[in-house]
Amino acid sequence: METKIQSACETCEHFNRDGLKKLGVRTDNFDFVVALAGNPNTGKSTVFNALTGLRQHTGNWPGKTVTRAEGGFEYNTKKYKLVDLPGTYSLMSTSEDEEAARDFILFGKPDVTVIVVDANRLERNLNLVLQILEITDKAVLCLNLMDEAKRNDVEIDVRTLSRDLGIPVVPASARFNRGIPELIQTISEIASGKMVCKPHRIKSVPENIEKAVKTLTVEIEKEFPNISNSRWIAFRLLEGDKKIIEALRKGEFV
Amino acid sequence: MHTYNPISALLVFFSIGALLYFLFRPSKGWYWILKNQLTSNEKTIIEDVLKQLYHFENSNNKVDMKTLVHMLSFSNKKIVDAINIMTVNNLIYFESDILKLTEKGREYALRIVRVHRLWERYLAEKTGFHKIEWHDRAESMEHRLNHDEVEELSRHLGHPKFDPHGDPIPTKTGKMAQVKGVELPLLQVGAMGRITHIEDEPEVIYKQILAENIHIGSLIKVVENNVTRIVFLSEGEEFKLAPIVAANLTVAPLEKEILVEDNVTRLSSLTENETAKIIGISRESRGESRRRLLDLGFVKGAQVSIDLVNPLGEPNAYLIKGTSIALRNDQAAKILIKKD
Amino acid sequence: MKQNNIDHIIELSNELRWQIGDEFHDNLTESIYADAADIVKDTVRSKDSERRFRLDAKIDKIVTSKRFGFPIMFLILGTVLWLTIQGANYPSSLLANLLLDIIHPALKSGAAGLGMPWWLDGFLIDGVYLAVAWVIAVMLPPMAIFFPMFTLLEDFGYLPRVAFNLDALFNKSGAHGKQALTMSMGFGCNAAGVVATRIIDSPRERLIAILTNNFSLCNGRWPTQILIATIFIGAVVPKSLSSFVSLLAVIGVAVLGMVFMFGVSWGLSKTVLKGEVSTFNLELPPYRPPRFWKTIYTSLIDRTLIVLWRAIVFAAPAGAVIWLISNIHIGNESIAAWAIHSMDGFGFLLGLNGVILLAYIVAIPANEIVIPTILMLTVLVTGVGVGEGAGVMFELDSINATADVLKAGGWTLLTAINLMLFSLLHNPCSTTIYTIYKETNSVKWTVVASVMPVILGFIVTFLVAQLWRLMF
Repeated sequence: METKIQSACETCEHFNRDGLKKLGVRTDNFDFVVALAGNPNTGKSTVFNALTGLRQHTGNWPGKTVTRAEGGFEYNTKKYKLVDLPGTYSLMSTSEDEEAARDFILFGKPDVTVIVVDANRLERNLNLVLQILEITDKAVLCLNLMDEAKRNDVEIDVRTLSRDLGIPVVPASARFNRGIPELIQTISEIASGKMVCKPHRIKSVPENIEKAVKTLTVEIEKEFPNISNSRWIAFRLLEGDKKIIEALRKGEFV
Repeated sequence: MHTYNPISALLVFFSIGALLYFLFRPSKGWYWILKNQLTSNEKTIIEDVLKQLYHFENSNNKVDMKTLVHMLSFSNKKIVDAINIMTVNNLIYFESDILKLTEKGREYALRIVRVHRLWERYLAEKTGFHKIEWHDRAESMEHRLNHDEVEELSRHLGHPKFDPHGDPIPTKTGKMAQVKGVELPLLQVGAMGRITHIEDEPEVIYKQILAENIHIGSLIKVVENNVTRIVFLSEGEEFKLAPIVAANLTVAPLEKEILVEDNVTRLSSLTENETAKIIGISRESRGESRRRLLDLGFVKGAQVSIDLVNPLGEPNAYLIKGTSIALRNDQAAKILIKKD
Repeated sequence: MKQNNIDHIIELSNELRWQIGDEFHDNLTESIYADAADIVKDTVRSKDSERRFRLDAKIDKIVTSKRFGFPIMFLILGTVLWLTIQGANYPSSLLANLLLDIIHPALKSGAAGLGMPWWLDGFLIDGVYLAVAWVIAVMLPPMAIFFPMFTLLEDFGYLPRVAFNLDALFNKSGAHGKQALTMSMGFGCNAAGVVATRIIDSPRERLIAILTNNFSLCNGRWPTQILIATIFIGAVVPKSLSSFVSLLAVIGVAVLGMVFMFGVSWGLSKTVLKGEVSTFNLELPPYRPPRFWKTIYTSLIDRTLIVLWRAIVFAAPAGAVIWLISNIHIGNESIAAWAIHSMDGFGFLLGLNGVILLAYIVAIPANEIVIPTILMLTVLVTGVGVGEGAGVMFELDSINATADVLKAGGWTLLTAINLMLFSLLHNPCSTTIYTIYKETNSVKWTVVASVMPVILGFIVTFLVAQLWRLMF
């Protein structure tokens, strides 16, 4: 980790309250696209509503947001379009939800991906987080449900977490609108390129797989020198992901 | 309503019902039988003959016309016709009265075997058909796919090496991985091994093995072996099989150096107030179900305990990585654990 | 050139995959979780790390216990249904009063004042307006009560526990425990029930839930059941028992619906849906106190109004059709009368009559208008002296008057019983059919979902009719 990551606490003071306008469903002429990803039951839709001022229905269920919801907000004269992706446990299976979420992050090329996690169940949630970080390096972690975590005596070292993951981490309780201003500020900094992330890449891969991945990555980078997620594409090729193979054939990664 | 009376109305109704039943009942309906008769043409017979010969030659058995006719469920005349065509086309030849495959015939047979096993693999990974049905469905599919379709299928499945029973799938060029191991009855008492193959024919025996809930990839230890029965331990349970049934299991004996996890049992045997560590997921769990279990956190090394016992017996809820996940017993039986 | 390189990469990946073997996915997932565990070890301190949080565990012990689990469940579902049916009575009659007794005559006289030709005013006001008004009056109040209550339970986190408790039953018929919830949702509205099947992430089980949702007696059909049971079934027992027996009959029909749901689920999973992929997993999420007003608001917007809007869109043309067939004459008979006469024979075989069959055909858009349509058509063919004229749907204020009209139409106890059965077992309303198409994206499954219940309805009513005639 060479890049210095600003922790969320440092950004609070910079937040410009007057610069914020929640736009609801009016998302025309936006400057940036923000994707909202996360496990089911992490309060993702609450974060979406808090950011956009919409009242999307949320259910205490996995698989609730099947249709993709969109909303928007304006901050410091820039317009952001927010896309709420289906809540999934992973991006590596072939269910409809997971493919929709995966495709949007991969091909939709959002300017920022906000990953919402449940602070009480961080370990389980990291499965999705680490997968997303293989695909995109413009991401921010929203550590939601901090109020519950506090009640349950769960303490999280935000600074270390941010360092380990290589992306900014914003603690929040979206139900009570806590942490949302900081989240918006962080989104804007990543979108504008002011903040650069150097995300964690999966480490504990067995040797034989790592070797295969390296071989493939080198070949992929030879062909597409500007690609940032060659390693992830290598993973998918080894898995035999038909959709990725097709996309590669058609050159959709350039 | 001049001619109406309830009884005649009911009679008409039930006769129509019965007719529909006999026409369309699953697999034995007249409609299906007729359809099969019409579609089982020369090609089907030739391919079935080739496959039979291939299997016999592989197990070093010799086949004459009589055994062949006996093995296949086609009329004598049709088989004789097919054999004639095959000899003319240089697929088989006679050595006195023994039938033999030519090089060309062998290649053709391998292709059929390839389709059959790929299709079984496809059924196992991408559909919800029960294991018992895989073989029969593959039997009819193997005659229907053309070369390009087979390659597409293989690509779709990621060019797999083995079918779900543990049989190797021949590659396009006829290359085939080796199944390691010997038939279970050949193991000595005390020997340990891993099940590498479960033969799916004859169906009667296969069904018996399925009923016992024996999984491919499981570690076993033989504790008794005599002419009447073979008893072995696997995943915390004891299995007793007749030798003829056990012979359908292929087991690769373990080499001494491999460290064997002791006391491996199935998650379904966990009781309340016990905790355990996950060792892995059995190979019986495939495709989408397996991925789902992994994504939910049932990975090697994870701590697991029972969170809630179901009032109806299943599914029970397991506490894994801080979340309560309910699994049915057949799923839990495929997760291997070591109790703390 | 470039294409060659890409083909080379793909070829290489195939070769490497062959070398790595089948365990790639397992290994990768394990690596990710290993990294996750590493990170968590550094950053999270928890005093009670692996245990679930205490209050949750306590609630769960009670709501899934052998002794209390099922009583609590039935109590909650019963209360929700009772509150819906009882609570909707008053606002429904208020709305009916407003829309049918005040606004409708006002519109009529307004149209007369404007000098609108009789056919235009009949078509628009008696046809389109009346159907829409009826749907709103009957549908809106129960849905506005049912959906918020259901959503509150959902947001609190209780519903996954219901799925947990009942899964074993559903498993036996090849279905998913979460179908218990989509089924309950169907008691409110089948279209909403079909949408709710999204929570089932296994393809086979989701299709089963979609195809069998129609067996849940929806809000649009409860009033029909209650009315017919009160008139015909309550009448055959002593007065003191009549309301109890008619209630029992309605509950019996609803339970019969569940029996069909289980039976058909089983049949589907063993036949046509055998090959669909089937997986199971059910997360029991932590309980979270719902935010009351917000939930009420969103469930009204998201579920009630959307479903209501769809129903209105479909009901409007139905109203027009009903008016047209009653008023367009071929020879000296209206289309309606002609259709009724030609279907009378088939209707008789099923223990029904042509009026009922025609009513169910034109009322495909909404079950709510079945009874008004039946009454109007009965008056049309019998010439009994009540009602508002050809093509004008109506309902009568007194149950006795309704009974008189129906009896004049030749109704017997058998007709009533079979109507109740047919009301349970017929095609879904067009809103639901449309929703099924949207959710499955398949014409085939939409057709199966629409045709299968009608065929079952024909078979069941036919058998009941023949046996009845043999016995009595």
